Amino acid sequence: MFENRAIGVALVLPAALFAAALFFLPVGILLSEAFRTETGWSAWAYVEFFQSPRNQTVFFRTLKLAGLVALVSAVIGYAAAFAIVNLPPTSRGRMFGLVMLPLMISPVARTYAWLVILGRTGFVNQFLVNIGLTDTPFRILFTETAVFIGLLQLFLPLMIISLVSAMENMPRDAVSAARILGANWFQVFWRVILPLTREGLVIGGTLVFTGSMTAYITPAILGGSKVLMLETLLYQRVTVANDFVAASVIAMILIVMAFSANILLKRIATARKTR
Amino acid sequence: MLKRSLMAGAAVLAMTVSAQAADKTLTISVYSFSQDAFKELVYTPFEAICGCDIVVETGNSIERMAKIEANKDAPVIDMAVLSAHDALGAARKGLLQPIDTTALTNYDKLYDIAKDPLGDNMGVGYTFYATSIAYRSDKVTITSWADLLSPELAGNVALPDVTTNQGPPALYMLGKAMGDTDPSLTKPIEAVGEKVDDIVTFYVRSSQLAQLMQQEEIWAAPIGRFAWGSFRDNGLPMAWAEPVEGQTGGMNVMVMTANNGNEELALQFMDFWLSTEVQTKLAEALIDSPANSEVEVSDEIAANLTYGADTVATLDLLSPATILDMREGWLEQWNSKVVQ
Repeated sequence: MFENRAIGVALVLPAALFAAALFFLPVGILLSEAFRTETGWSAWAYVEFFQSPRNQTVFFRTLKLAGLVALVSAVIGYAAAFAIVNLPPTSRGRMFGLVMLPLMISPVARTYAWLVILGRTGFVNQFLVNIGLTDTPFRILFTETAVFIGLLQLFLPLMIISLVSAMENMPRDAVSAARILGANWFQVFWRVILPLTREGLVIGGTLVFTGSMTAYITPAILGGSKVLMLETLLYQRVTVANDFVAASVIAMILIVMAFSANILLKRIATARKTR
Repeated sequence: MLKRSLMAGAAVLAMTVSAQAADKTLTISVYSFSQDAFKELVYTPFEAICGCDIVVETGNSIERMAKIEANKDAPVIDMAVLSAHDALGAARKGLLQPIDTTALTNYDKLYDIAKDPLGDNMGVGYTFYATSIAYRSDKVTITSWADLLSPELAGNVALPDVTTNQGPPALYMLGKAMGDTDPSLTKPIEAVGEKVDDIVTFYVRSSQLAQLMQQEEIWAAPIGRFAWGSFRDNGLPMAWAEPVEGQTGGMNVMVMTANNGNEELALQFMDFWLSTEVQTKLAEALIDSPANSEVEVSDEIAANLTYGADTVATLDLLSPATILDMREGWLEQWNSKVVQ
């Protein structure tokens, strides 16, 4: 594209320097904290971190909830995206706006709204009592269920948006063609829609998974200290114990998990392609 | 043109004024809450008296302590206010120097518990608060700290997290109600661990708790008196418990950083803050309960504060040294018995 490489390099240099000085360097220093000991370098901090049963619980809970949110949002997301792309253009725009709406509301306000809705005197419980499903209100707040609901609402739009743009790039007649050739809806999804939208699924899945893993406000407010996740644990270690070693261990774990999720999803996507 | 020269003139004037005022500067490190009121009631009046500038640095205890420690060879902060146990931590690290209490004309007016809470005059208490149980008087009656784990409150009670300032004192009082005052808090932490499913949440911020009370998620929780206002007026029948074991609480202290070279001005400022006049104003604005025993406020104001010799006499506080020495152990026990 450029006449010589030098121009390209010169153009990218300011951004690269900016990122190096203000992002990679500080992150590198922070993360190296966990490997530094009085005598030299070691990975002992990681061993120590995973030896604690409490930390193990928090780690697996984070993995489980983020995975579950990504999975459920993919299922709901496909249905919603399929419906949206098949709408006439004006309603499609309107519907798309509705999907985006939660992203425009402050996460704090949105999460506090869940406190009201999920509470014992809240909308959900009153409904359940009114239809006679239960006499005593369920305790939803400060459980994993509450964190799951909050995270799902928070990140579902990202999945829908990724899938909608993937489906818009799908040949318009692919689904009809498959149906005419005798495929049932499951086969249409599995052999036509899924392979053609896998890029969107990888992007959406990575965004939702890493987002759920690193969200702070939702688990802090809806889960509290009884449902600690890695991010809330990180905050606790820094503000309460001034323990930057454990904090940088957690930060490193979060980064590794995010990259692994992305690589894994890409693998799954390409594995289907080559078959 | 005129506009430009006017602006230049104003800039020169501003520079000379600030250069003059900067002759004497006092740098203080305080909590970030109510700073507008502090400026009006404390800082500005003091600046008028001393003819000096006050530079205010704010933040939570951990941030501010880290900063004092980082600058210990060339102190920036002259005086700071900290929780008593954080102050003791700073003193043990050699970041503080004893306060010359003979230079404080208001020192003798302080309640005894505020005079030397850290030992060696390393800090002077300027405010304290009671911690007791706020509860729904139409649902339960609370007469003892042990009631927190009673069957009536199962599923309807929140406790402070062990990492908060309210956590350890509340656990200590729970232990006291169980007949165990050992500072290891082993017994009360075990008791909470056994009943963990009955506890709605372990709260971190009292503002969050006020909403839970309002939404009838909980009927009772131990809170600091400074937060009582947001519970008392929530439209529900609320009461402040006076348990047979007494109330607990916490104290904030003023400290003098080591080798700051500005001791005289810092002492003058501390004395001003401890004066009956300033302490009364801060009490009337419902900002800090007075540590000065000569402060007198109306009953209405007193109802929102930790006020009066009778209240002070019932306070059973954990010593700063206990908190500092035992904190890690409490957290460890809590993590294995409660959070699991």
